[in-house]
Amino acid sequence: MTAVSTTLAIVLTFSVLAALAAILLRDVLNAIIAFAAFSFGIAVAWVLLAAPDVALTEAAVGAGITTVLFLVTIAKTVRPSGERLLESVEWRSVAVVVLLVGSLLATVRSLPAVGAADSPVATSRVTEYYLQNAYPETGVENVVTAVLAAYRGFDTLGEATVVIAAGVAVLLVLRQEAYV
Amino acid sequence: MIDLLGTHYNYLVFVALVGIGLYGVTASSNLVKKIIGLNIFQVGIFLFFVTSGYVDGAAPPVVGHGSGPYASPLPHVLILTAIVVGVSLTAVALALIVRIYDAYGTLDEEAIREVQLND
Repeated sequence: MTAVSTTLAIVLTFSVLAALAAILLRDVLNAIIAFAAFSFGIAVAWVLLAAPDVALTEAAVGAGITTVLFLVTIAKTVRPSGERLLESVEWRSVAVVVLLVGSLLATVRSLPAVGAADSPVATSRVTEYYLQNAYPETGVENVVTAVLAAYRGFDTLGEATVVIAAGVAVLLVLRQEAYV
Repeated sequence: MIDLLGTHYNYLVFVALVGIGLYGVTASSNLVKKIIGLNIFQVGIFLFFVTSGYVDGAAPPVVGHGSGPYASPLPHVLILTAIVVGVSLTAVALALIVRIYDAYGTLDEEAIREVQLND
């Protein structure tokens, strides 16, 4: 019997509340600040889930770069004046969300408990292979780095291609002298 | 349902984040807030992946110093890639939003539709 640690539960609850605030706050700047708080909470959750690499990336990219991109966007566009603090509820969307959440909740019971040592991912042959052989074969102590840069190096090349393509796309879309 | 709170809390948070994200994408009429919803949806799925690789009391997958158990490195690798791809997509979407604002003078979905009908 395993249980989620209290610290993790508190951090995750904070993140859910921040996400809720980001969606429900009417003013876009408020929403962006709530979103940054959400990213920060999730980055802490990654640390507690023994994923420091993901935490660093989330803090730098999720809470950092993404927030800056949002702020630049609302600086270049309009920030709708918020006469009300919160958005009004859109009932048709609520119906769709209830449908999705309901069907997902029906599957949660079938998942292994959080942190179970016999979960399919933890006992997978691939996981064991990487944990045992990554250091002898690549000389890299961090297995995540070893997989990212050595075993799945071509996939990382594909990732870099996506980033280049996105950069080119942004430059093309904003190819006005006012922006470049 | 209550017993799941103790053992499956991360997965319940995953469901909540996906729901909140979907609500943001479909209900907000402001385009920037739709992108925020998309990002929240995405992080919900990240939480599902990273949780699936976690083992109680596990160390981060940095081998060579102590002994296990270690968290599975595979979900971490996948999610690292997904975060970078996600921010690229956000950048392209926001660039398009800046251009839409240039062309229509508004970021409100309904107002853009009205402008299109009037043209």
